[in-house]
Amino acid sequence: MDTASLAMVAMCCFAVLTAFAALFTKDTFYSALYMSATLVTIAGMFALNNVQPVFVLITFIFVGAIGAVTVALAAMYRDPKPKIQIDFIWFLPAIITFAAIFNAIFGLKNVPSAFSGSEVSAFVENYAVFALFFFALAILLMLAVVKFVRREEV
Amino acid sequence: MMVYLSLVTSAAILLIGYIMAMSSKELVRLLISLELMFGAVFLALMPLFTVPDLTTSAFSIAVLTIFTSGGELMILIAAMVTFSKKFRSISTDDIVAGGDSP
Repeated sequence: MDTASLAMVAMCCFAVLTAFAALFTKDTFYSALYMSATLVTIAGMFALNNVQPVFVLITFIFVGAIGAVTVALAAMYRDPKPKIQIDFIWFLPAIITFAAIFNAIFGLKNVPSAFSGSEVSAFVENYAVFALFFFALAILLMLAVVKFVRREEV
Repeated sequence: MMVYLSLVTSAAILLIGYIMAMSSKELVRLLISLELMFGAVFLALMPLFTVPDLTTSAFSIAVLTIFTSGGELMILIAAMVTFSKKFRSISTDDIVAGGDSP
């Protein structure tokens, strides 16, 4: 096994372990920190496979913006007496679903193994459509937030 | 090998997020579980980057997914803050929907 594959295995294990830590920890603040670590590791996997633009997007938007807000919220609403929040009955359907997905994944044929870097230049050709989409998304977000605030004032 | 690994890891993180969402008693934990699930979705996009003809499409899908899910989570954060201001609680037991009585 080459170094890249070993690094990928290590990152996959680390991502799953931090996700489990986010699930099992009692304190919501630490749960948010572990979630951020999971997302950084996922972004790191993209960087490892030569897809740096997605690494930058996930790190900036998900970890930098939303992850930081989540950690701040978790610190603000921190429970002084945290208790474990796991309903063990949901493990059974989750394990069955995982087994089905695992079986489907390893039943795949002709899976390519080499990664090729994304073509940002080709993406930029359709930039006008994406700019329009982001503009519409921003308006929708602002409308929703204004609606929340106005309802709050009534 | 890497494609299999990324897909299996994605499935594992998705199901951990699912268990966390189903058993969460606080809105913050629900938010964390949703972010984990979105992370798993990003990881599931990775095999698309292995097909040379699909890399541009894959990047477009990734950008759309990241921005749309980011916007969705921001709305959820705004809703959570409003909920906490109104009800002085972030417990999921206090949430009612449709015709439910509080």
